[in-house]
Amino acid sequence: MRLAGPLTFAVAIILSLAGVAHSQEKPLREIVNSFAEARNFNQTEEIVAELGATGDPAVVPVLRALSEGDLHVRKSDNQVFIVSGRGKTLTIIDPLTGEMVGEEGKRALSKIRVNNGLRRLIRDTIGGLALGSPDPAARLRAARTLISNPDASSLPAIEAALEKETDPEVAAGMMRARAAAILVSERPDAEKSEAITAVAAISTQDALSLLLGFRGQATGELREQVDRAIARVERVQSYWAMAQNVWYGLSLGSVLLLAAIGLAITFGVMGVINMAHGEMVMIGAYVTFVVQEIIRTSAPWLFDWSLAIALPLAFLTAGAIGYALERGIIRFLYGRPLETLLATWGVSLILQQAVRTIFGPTNREVGSPSWMSGAFEIGQLTITWNRLYIVLFALAVFAVLLFVLNRTSFGLQMRAVTQNRRMAAAMGIRTPRVDAMTFALGSGVAGLAGVALSQIDNVSPNLGQGYIIDSFMVVVFGGVGNLWGTFVGALTLGIANKFLEPYAGAVLGKILVLVFIILFIQKRPRGLFALKGRAVEA
Amino acid sequence: MISGYLARNGLEGRIIATIVLILAAGVAVPVSNLVLDPSHPLHVPTYIVALLGKYLTYALLALALDLVWGFCGILSLGHGAFFALGGYAMGMYLMRQIGTRGVYGNPVMPDFMVFLNWKELPWYWHGFDQFWFAMVMVALVPGMLAFVFGWFAFRSRVTGVYLSIITQAMTYALMLAFFRNDMGFGGNNGLTDFKDILGFDVQADTTRAALFAASAVALAIGVIITARITGSHFGKLMIASRDAESRTRFLGYRPEMVKLFAFTVSAVMAGVAGALYVPQVGIINPGEFAPANSIEVVVWTAVGGRGTIIGPIIGALLVNGGKSWFTGVLPEFWLFALGGLFVFVTLFLPKGIVGTLQDHIGRRREKRQAEKAEEAEAASAAEPTPVGAE
Amino acid sequence: MVERAGTILYLDGVSVAFDGFKAIQNLSFVLKRGEMRAIIGPNGAGKTTMMDIVTGKTRPDEGDVYFNGTIDLTRHDEADIATLGIGRKFQKPTVFESLTVADNLSLALAAPRDVFSVLFARESSGRARRIDEILEIVRLGHRREHVAANLSHGQKQWLEIGMLLAQDPKLLLVDEPVAGMTDAETEETARLLREIAATHSVVVVEHDMHFVRELDVKVTCLHEGSVLSEGSLDHVSSDKRVIEVYLGR
Repeated sequence: MRLAGPLTFAVAIILSLAGVAHSQEKPLREIVNSFAEARNFNQTEEIVAELGATGDPAVVPVLRALSEGDLHVRKSDNQVFIVSGRGKTLTIIDPLTGEMVGEEGKRALSKIRVNNGLRRLIRDTIGGLALGSPDPAARLRAARTLISNPDASSLPAIEAALEKETDPEVAAGMMRARAAAILVSERPDAEKSEAITAVAAISTQDALSLLLGFRGQATGELREQVDRAIARVERVQSYWAMAQNVWYGLSLGSVLLLAAIGLAITFGVMGVINMAHGEMVMIGAYVTFVVQEIIRTSAPWLFDWSLAIALPLAFLTAGAIGYALERGIIRFLYGRPLETLLATWGVSLILQQAVRTIFGPTNREVGSPSWMSGAFEIGQLTITWNRLYIVLFALAVFAVLLFVLNRTSFGLQMRAVTQNRRMAAAMGIRTPRVDAMTFALGSGVAGLAGVALSQIDNVSPNLGQGYIIDSFMVVVFGGVGNLWGTFVGALTLGIANKFLEPYAGAVLGKILVLVFIILFIQKRPRGLFALKGRAVEA
Repeated sequence: MISGYLARNGLEGRIIATIVLILAAGVAVPVSNLVLDPSHPLHVPTYIVALLGKYLTYALLALALDLVWGFCGILSLGHGAFFALGGYAMGMYLMRQIGTRGVYGNPVMPDFMVFLNWKELPWYWHGFDQFWFAMVMVALVPGMLAFVFGWFAFRSRVTGVYLSIITQAMTYALMLAFFRNDMGFGGNNGLTDFKDILGFDVQADTTRAALFAASAVALAIGVIITARITGSHFGKLMIASRDAESRTRFLGYRPEMVKLFAFTVSAVMAGVAGALYVPQVGIINPGEFAPANSIEVVVWTAVGGRGTIIGPIIGALLVNGGKSWFTGVLPEFWLFALGGLFVFVTLFLPKGIVGTLQDHIGRRREKRQAEKAEEAEAASAAEPTPVGAE
Repeated sequence: MVERAGTILYLDGVSVAFDGFKAIQNLSFVLKRGEMRAIIGPNGAGKTTMMDIVTGKTRPDEGDVYFNGTIDLTRHDEADIATLGIGRKFQKPTVFESLTVADNLSLALAAPRDVFSVLFARESSGRARRIDEILEIVRLGHRREHVAANLSHGQKQWLEIGMLLAQDPKLLLVDEPVAGMTDAETEETARLLREIAATHSVVVVEHDMHFVRELDVKVTCLHEGSVLSEGSLDHVSSDKRVIEVYLGR
């Protein structure tokens, strides 16, 4: 019985593809309505095969609805409909035209039952139908489906479709589908040998499992060939896995870079550890939340712009808090870095509790604009848009800061103060002002990071706490007084983390990275890119 | 008698008074709890005994931190780790004491291991059924960690905020590790449901009273050790390397070894505090490793006055008393209060309560001395040989 | 090329660079046992860096540094070098501010330096007597129990010299001992250093020519990390290149 369905289906497809007009067959609606008479799964299966045999893409929605359990029979007249909605009354839709017909009580309808075998058949049928679809993209999709679910019985259909195929890309896809199907068929060894090469060229996980499955039955030369092919696919797979890890690492690294770079600036220039830095990030995320709330209630059409609006606001809010913090507390503690650390920790507690009091302790929902959702693929890499945008954003922030530090007079003053505070003061640089502005800048950048992190993390009062230790590690690892150190530090730690994860697990990976940094800092107490010389020692 | 012994060993009167006070409390509180009738106005209820006992262990922890921060200038943001390790060592002993009384009734393995389908006790759990072994571990594990960590850190001259940050990373890494179930320390839930200690029910009033007394004695010993170390020639060296580390090197000392010694002693003290803490609160879990906990210890020490011996004890008692009060009355304001305390103390009371008082007294004494010195100088200036100094 | 034997300090072909900046270039410097030498030179001439190299604070990129003719100082760290018998007084007076004058000296007194010896050390009457002697020499007797932070600048300089004496080193490196002193104090200091030099080898770095003249010893002038001129003060100060460095440009 298992084979009966696919075989009928295959024959039918060949017929349809061979151009046998289905006008001689029963009209579509009649076949569809015949579901009402099916007494068991076998009969339903036959009808599915019959529908497939029509080769008409119009049956695809019917089959899909059937598979999802949305195909119902109206008891009064044995007509078949697609239903939608929930509850006691359902909307009924014409299965072929897709028009709404009206509403019907649930009791007046009976669902056409499906089982897993049927669902598989439906999937393959739709795949086969799509091979004949006029849309090349649909044909390509169908070919890909057939690669992941190879079936010897679909071989004739593929080969028939291949003959007619004109689009080279789709043809290549079909060749691969064919090769996949050959491996599970009874074709002669010569063809299988070719198929192995073709399947190996696909190099996906599907191809690998296909080859591994084939290996069990292969003998002699074929066995050797398949072993080589498996080795090759595994190698390619490992490259892709590595590429994927690098991507994840870059993605994590850019998040770390965003979180740490403001810290690096304040630490570098003022030698001050700002323990409230994480809270600046958190505040940036909450600014995003507030902006989105306002947009939701008063100007929903602006939603796609919400992040663009939130960015400057987050920068200014966090920057202003940073400025106030410097003027109000930190400036009284210069030369006492450990006390500054404690005072800013106190501030971080206050900020956390303030946000908790205002917004509540639970996670807040921050939405993604449409242009940030979804993903795309490069080869076997899956890249989500929001991660990509965050990487780009981090790079942009880094570039802007680099520009500010190296090409503006404020940057020059900052660098002068970093290198030799007293000398800078003697040259007429108003160091208190530079300090305050630096602190505001560092905090503002943290606010920007908060906007970005609101897209990938839970917006809660504890948001900042999760990043503060990692940010410290980046700064300590990268060294002080050089933004490139932070850059290299963040990306290295991001990638190291992601590479350790598969072997050690996420938590152990993180522990290993921490241990590594603890050991590293003892070798190079001032980080990768440290300033050297007498001035630093002082 | 005690005070006589202490005085013979060269301790200041202030320190002796503190020790006597602690020991007196160690006797008075348990006695009032056990002997006095519950209706008596001076009766201390059992829950207060446990609470105060907990505070005493905190005081010991703060004192341990003060030894490294106040006297050596090492701001450790990871002292909670030593405390927690000591606590875990004690917790492991208490877990082994449960025996067949656990939910699964396994005579050897704690419940969580049975739950995780472990077949046998991990090697590092062996020996913890013996009290003496557990007590050795209470001191040894934190001590070893501090020694190894300090050996690397101090020898490569990691100082200041860098050191603070890697100590924080250390406790953070340990927290992550202890959260893992396969570490074999009960994961998220930690160790709890203790039944008895040395055969006595941990819930019993008498046991609570005894644990309180033990905490008081431990704190008193901690004070003696700290006072002896800081009052000795070594203590001067500690202060010297705190204030001008490289200068001590040019005198031929190795400040890293000074720090390593202080750090290790301090870690052992913290471990003992943790071991006394666990039976009194009835649980130890990875949350004790949280970096926030370690920083809180810093504020106790700062409030009381770092670089003094009485300060951290007073600070720990005050801040924790405040915390208990706040969380009872205005729970949502506790973090505001704590945060504000950090800021206030660093800005306005950098030497803490005790330090500020001592300064005040010290300044008056200094003034009197300066006056005397001036007189002396005026006298010597009158002599023919010119001695230019001022 | 000078024979290493008989020297207390021997530097040959020493160079060190910080981030490309050559602080010391091919410096050779020899001090005989029992000799006192004054080093002069404009700012950035490498005087302090040279002291850093000798005391182990900075490692030279190349070159030989020998103490007492046989001990390779590049293989030892600061603490080792100090125990070998090299004492150093810093440019900026560095005493232990929160300790008393007597405690400062007590820490400097020659004694075993390892942790446990220090931990169980007891104040002996011998040590107290030695401290009193030194206090007498550096004229700080009346300040014995005062906290060092409250000393005047000049007194701190003297306390530091006292600490050097307490250390009883074979070689003293004294960096700008009279900076910020009155003339009377300067003269007194010169007299004290000459006294010390009778029994020790001494290197003095100083800007104050009046003071250098008081010392009346051989002078080495450094410039851009190497020796520019060497000889008596009159010889050096009449050297054209020295004049150019100090006055020219």
